[in-house]
Amino acid sequence: MITIKDLGFSYGEKAVLKNITMTLEEGRIYGLLGENGVGKTTLLTLLCGLKAVKSGSIDTDGHNPYDREPSFLADQYYLSDEVAAMNMTALEYAKNYGKFWDGFDMDKFVEIMGVFENDPAQKMNKMSFGQLKKTYISFALACNTKYLFMDEPTNGLDIPSKAQFRKAVTKYTREDSVILISTHQVRDLENIIDPIIILDRQDVLLNASVEEISEKLYFDYSTEKLTDALYCEMIPGGNIQVALNTEGKDSKVNIEALFNTVHQHKELIKGIFNK
Amino acid sequence: MKTNDIFDFRRFGKYFASDLKTCAANFGLSLLVTALLLPLTIYCITIGFNALMSGLWDGPDMWLRATCFCIAMICIVVQMPVKCYGRITEKQYGSFWLTLPASRLEKFVSMFLMTCIIVPVIGVGSFIGLDAIICALDPTCGGSLVTGVSELFSNMLASGEVTLNLANESIPIEDVETINEFMIQITSPWLYIDEIFGITLPFLMGAVFFRSGKTVKTFIALFAFSTAVSIISTPFMTQLAVDMMNGVKNGDPMIIFDNGIFMNLVLIDTISDAIVNIALMIGIWFRIKTLKH
Repeated sequence: MITIKDLGFSYGEKAVLKNITMTLEEGRIYGLLGENGVGKTTLLTLLCGLKAVKSGSIDTDGHNPYDREPSFLADQYYLSDEVAAMNMTALEYAKNYGKFWDGFDMDKFVEIMGVFENDPAQKMNKMSFGQLKKTYISFALACNTKYLFMDEPTNGLDIPSKAQFRKAVTKYTREDSVILISTHQVRDLENIIDPIIILDRQDVLLNASVEEISEKLYFDYSTEKLTDALYCEMIPGGNIQVALNTEGKDSKVNIEALFNTVHQHKELIKGIFNK
Repeated sequence: MKTNDIFDFRRFGKYFASDLKTCAANFGLSLLVTALLLPLTIYCITIGFNALMSGLWDGPDMWLRATCFCIAMICIVVQMPVKCYGRITEKQYGSFWLTLPASRLEKFVSMFLMTCIIVPVIGVGSFIGLDAIICALDPTCGGSLVTGVSELFSNMLASGEVTLNLANESIPIEDVETINEFMIQITSPWLYIDEIFGITLPFLMGAVFFRSGKTVKTFIALFAFSTAVSIISTPFMTQLAVDMMNGVKNGDPMIIFDNGIFMNLVLIDTISDAIVNIALMIGIWFRIKTLKH
């Protein structure tokens, strides 16, 4: 489990994260959403130990990530949004580096590469950005780590690859793993992320499971306009409307509509979900 | 922090092997081209040039090959840290490198061994080895670099003795002993072997310290450092020279340094180099320790 307590971080004078407190539990795939520059990547890099916290603390199973202890690093993998084109084949790369993660499974790596229709014998510096990204995703999943942090993993992937990515994440991750995926493209991950974390400038606006969201908010897809809608957007064949779920009705959460609702009614949403 | 998290020999072995492989992929070809192709090219060009100009089959002489050797080693020392470790300051590779499950100390030791020992040994060995083969096949080269260097050192010792014998009557006996010891000391291989760390470490530091323009900035930093040292030391050296000239006018011997400096030149040089090298190593260590992405 990851416990974040009063976390603060700034770039020089510019505060990015302030008093962030939350816990990330095992067996969940967290979706980290937020506008550009709110600190999604910063939070991920703090969690995996690439940056040191300025205030507060992060505790990952008793480890401070910034200490970068090998025993801690061996149980986590961070997939950056920008990946390096190495001067070796994907298979050589996996053989060369996979041995550092105790749970690394070469067969699994080759299998996931197959799911992505990627050639493991191809040199990484000859791959397109999408192929390279898929190689790193395959490697990250084959590492079988408890903690997996992915920054914009679907960036650069074509449409079939996005579906393959969803399939791979649900099929090839451990039951007890904590996966945190930061993304702008919520539709790519709509069916796999739960809970959802929405970051705002220096703050967490929402950290709730899909079940909790659908208990408290109602997503209406009809053509009739709701008088008490918090958010309304026209779509072909009707509207997406979000309102408070006062009657306990069931509805399917639309993450994009949720994101816009949260941004338009920050204090209201924080009040509802922090009760 | 557990001891196992600071340094583990088994994990270090794995890391070093992987570092070696990555370095071979990034710099192996450049290393071989520099260390093997350069002596071969110089040999072919010289043979061709001499054949055309004078109609003689004459290989490159010792000085040309020694110059090429120095150029090749400079190219290797300057390029290698940037090609093998320069990428750790880039987000793409650096974030992976920092989160790779090996300790900072293991990464540092591997980096040091690769830069200061493995690559220079391979570079020197390849160049000298090929040079020896060429010279064995073609005696017009006039002996390999290794035999040339050992001859040079023997000549230095001999010329020192000759000079002293000639001037023996005008130099006090204690100074003759000092100069003899000095000649023995400056021909000691250890005086030069540890210099390799002093040459490679600044470039390794530049590679991990600067985010861009690593080689150029390292040269500028070295130039600035040398200038600063010169500015600081010039008044002392000038005063020393003035004192020496005044001493000569007064009939004192030229040697005004404490004899201990001459007698323990290797030790003093090793200590002073060690201080500089340790300072550089500490700088590299802290850079790795505090590197963030």
